[in-house]
Amino acid sequence: MKVKVVTNILKANTRLAEENRRELHERGITTINLMSSPGAGKTTLLARTIRDLGARIRFGVIEGDIQGTHDAEVIAALGVPVIQINTAGGCHLDANMVQSVLPELPLESIGLLVIENVGNLVCPAEFDLGEDAKVMLLSITEGDDKPLKYPRMFRECEALLVNKVDLAPHLDVSLEKIRADALGLNPALKVFEVSARSGQGLEAWYAWLEGKLRR
Amino acid sequence: MHELSIALSVLDIVRTAAADSGLASVTVVRLRIGRASGVQPDSLRFAFDCSKEGTVAEAAVLEIEEVPIGGRCDVCDHDFTSREPYVLACPLCGGASFRVTTGDELHVLDLEGEP
Repeated sequence: MKVKVVTNILKANTRLAEENRRELHERGITTINLMSSPGAGKTTLLARTIRDLGARIRFGVIEGDIQGTHDAEVIAALGVPVIQINTAGGCHLDANMVQSVLPELPLESIGLLVIENVGNLVCPAEFDLGEDAKVMLLSITEGDDKPLKYPRMFRECEALLVNKVDLAPHLDVSLEKIRADALGLNPALKVFEVSARSGQGLEAWYAWLEGKLRR
Repeated sequence: MHELSIALSVLDIVRTAAADSGLASVTVVRLRIGRASGVQPDSLRFAFDCSKEGTVAEAAVLEIEEVPIGGRCDVCDHDFTSREPYVLACPLCGGASFRVTTGDELHVLDLEGEP
């Protein structure tokens, strides 16, 4: 006996992501899904952004890591509500994990929720969490070949922060190639060249981020 | 890399569909997987076989229909289909800006089984 099914395998994730999106929108919260390789500087960028914009934006943070609470401790030290999700080996966050921790955040007092995904340039791109925008970070120490090696991530994102540009004089990396290849894959991509350490280029990123706010 | 979570989602869908249609044992599960979906069929088969024990799909084999990557080029405005596992440029004009129109599929199509 044959039974027709025709069901999207990711349907369960997509449904939960839509539920997350609806709840966050009803509360006036803007949500960013921040993705990169391990070590690109997601937590450093986020901590700096919180320090610089914390007086104007009420942040909330979900930290995704395979294990440990290091990143959540860095964010908590800034006085921002933060929840750590440990995926216990999982290579990405999914909508169900996010949904299960939302009640633990003081959503009524958050304007911008940043979800820091598990460090990985492959899998996180495929799972909708309920965010308004996917943002990726690429550090120039990773090399200028990354857009063409991990095209899906660059296609899915609205904004790309090219980080650690203060190291450019020490590296054989072409910022022009990163920008051209990324824009070739995704002509609508907003590209910001920044150093989360020195602060170079962050004003444009902050202006973009503030333009995303609902309240 | 995440084929195990995909396999568990497939098993959930199979379990529900089998219960809805009164199948006691599922023998075949047919999937459609696009080459741009990021899911490797061999890894998925392995993850499925590891996860199916003790379920209604214990005796099931996965039949996977792969969908090639198709796109519409923003540069030359032509539709194309590629046999390659990754497409970085339009195979017709070499333009790097294109929309993926097929190849993202990740579907359970149908099941076969015994009541």
